[in-house]
Amino acid sequence: MKLSEVEPGSVVVIADVHGNPEVRKKLLDMGLIKGAEVKVVRNAPLKDPMEIEVKGYNLSIRKVEAEKVLVVER
Amino acid sequence: MDFAAQIAMARYERIGEILGRCMERVEKPESFSDMIDKVVLDRYLGIPVFLTLMWAVFQFAFSVSAPFSDAVDVFFSACSDWAKNTITDPQLASLIGDGIFGGLGFVLVFLPPIAFVFMALAVLEDTGYLSRAAFVMDRAMTKVGLQGKSFIPMLLGFGCNVPAIMATRTIENEIDRKITIMVNPLMSCSARLPVYILFAGVFFEKYAGAVITSMYLLGILLAALMATLFRKLVFGGKPSPLLLEMPPYTVPTLRGVFTSAWVRTRVFLKKAATVLFIGAIAIWFLSTHPWQATEGGSVVENSYAAVIGHAVEPLIRPLGLDWTAGIALFAGFMAKEIVVGTLGIVYGVGEENVASAIVSHFTPASALAMMVITLIYLPCLATIGILRQELGGWKWTGFVVAYELVLAYMVAGIVFLGCKLVGVA
Repeated sequence: MKLSEVEPGSVVVIADVHGNPEVRKKLLDMGLIKGAEVKVVRNAPLKDPMEIEVKGYNLSIRKVEAEKVLVVER
Repeated sequence: MDFAAQIAMARYERIGEILGRCMERVEKPESFSDMIDKVVLDRYLGIPVFLTLMWAVFQFAFSVSAPFSDAVDVFFSACSDWAKNTITDPQLASLIGDGIFGGLGFVLVFLPPIAFVFMALAVLEDTGYLSRAAFVMDRAMTKVGLQGKSFIPMLLGFGCNVPAIMATRTIENEIDRKITIMVNPLMSCSARLPVYILFAGVFFEKYAGAVITSMYLLGILLAALMATLFRKLVFGGKPSPLLLEMPPYTVPTLRGVFTSAWVRTRVFLKKAATVLFIGAIAIWFLSTHPWQATEGGSVVENSYAAVIGHAVEPLIRPLGLDWTAGIALFAGFMAKEIVVGTLGIVYGVGEENVASAIVSHFTPASALAMMVITLIYLPCLATIGILRQELGGWKWTGFVVAYELVLAYMVAGIVFLGCKLVGVA
């Protein structure tokens, strides 16, 4: 499942991060690493981007980037 | 797993190890920040809350600061009068009174809105709302080649493009920031309004409101169009990923707000102000010299500025404009506020009666062309100074000036010919 498809309120675990090297490195640096728990907090009023909670802080991420993050059920 | 992922994994593993020894995990209660966000980022309330806050920022930046700008203006006008009354040599009096004091006043009236914009931005930034604002608007802005953080600078452009362009400093990605800066002058600043009011009022009477509104909409449309084009053709690629931390809300400190506003305002004073001041002196010289022929700077028709006005006449004649419009537009390069005043001087009627004088020099079609040109043609001198500072040199600044001139000419041409086609003279 892609992170972009996760409903607000759900908690999932990251399985893999794709995307071009630059974006991928940024995602990894921000703590979106394999095994990390991610809670989807909400979608923006215009549906995109989404707000997630990871490693104890809140982060906004566009759907385009969230599509590159593969997650599994906790 | 590749190298980048391994480094990230190893780093977080180590962090986890250290935290495990010194941190005790407790169930996080719903914080005050979360409660605020439930309202502020709500699916339905998010946008109204955002727009209300933006309205407040805009009012603070441009209405609350206005009396301070007026005070600066009054002060330097007084200095200017004093110089002209006390200095006996008229040419020197004009240089010091109109050139130097006039130029200083012209530069420093920008100081209050700039300082106020930065105070407002510092409050938004320090409370933590700035990243939420980007979060709310991002979707709409990426549609036109910009990103969430571009919205506030674009909005501020309706007040004045100078602080608006400086406000792009909150955008980290260089390309996103450049594009936001380059299309910002298309947002119709308050200085252009008097020109619209004059021409729309005289030539379109009861439709004046609609005509004026359409100028603003045209500016927004062109900004969206140009931002998309720049993104596609000049820079390539997509907006940078919007990985923004949404920090917990905090109460900003006065000290923090003032320090941040002062540091940023000082940049304007140090860099842009010098370019501006020199430009102001140059324009004073061109509109008052040769000294003999202009009878001491009072007959604008004989000045170098008029020579320029006549020189551009063949260029703007196809748009139905004559050399008087040329002079006014040239003067408007200094500040678009003075376009109307300059027309008054050129027609020898003063600013109050300029409405009756323009009827003989313009038609409804050429009036529209004039308004479109005023909207687009050149960033004013102050904006050029700030463009050079924020774009890091003359290369991109020159590009902005060039594309705006071409765009102004094309759009004004289309509007003028369109009017002719549908039978508006």
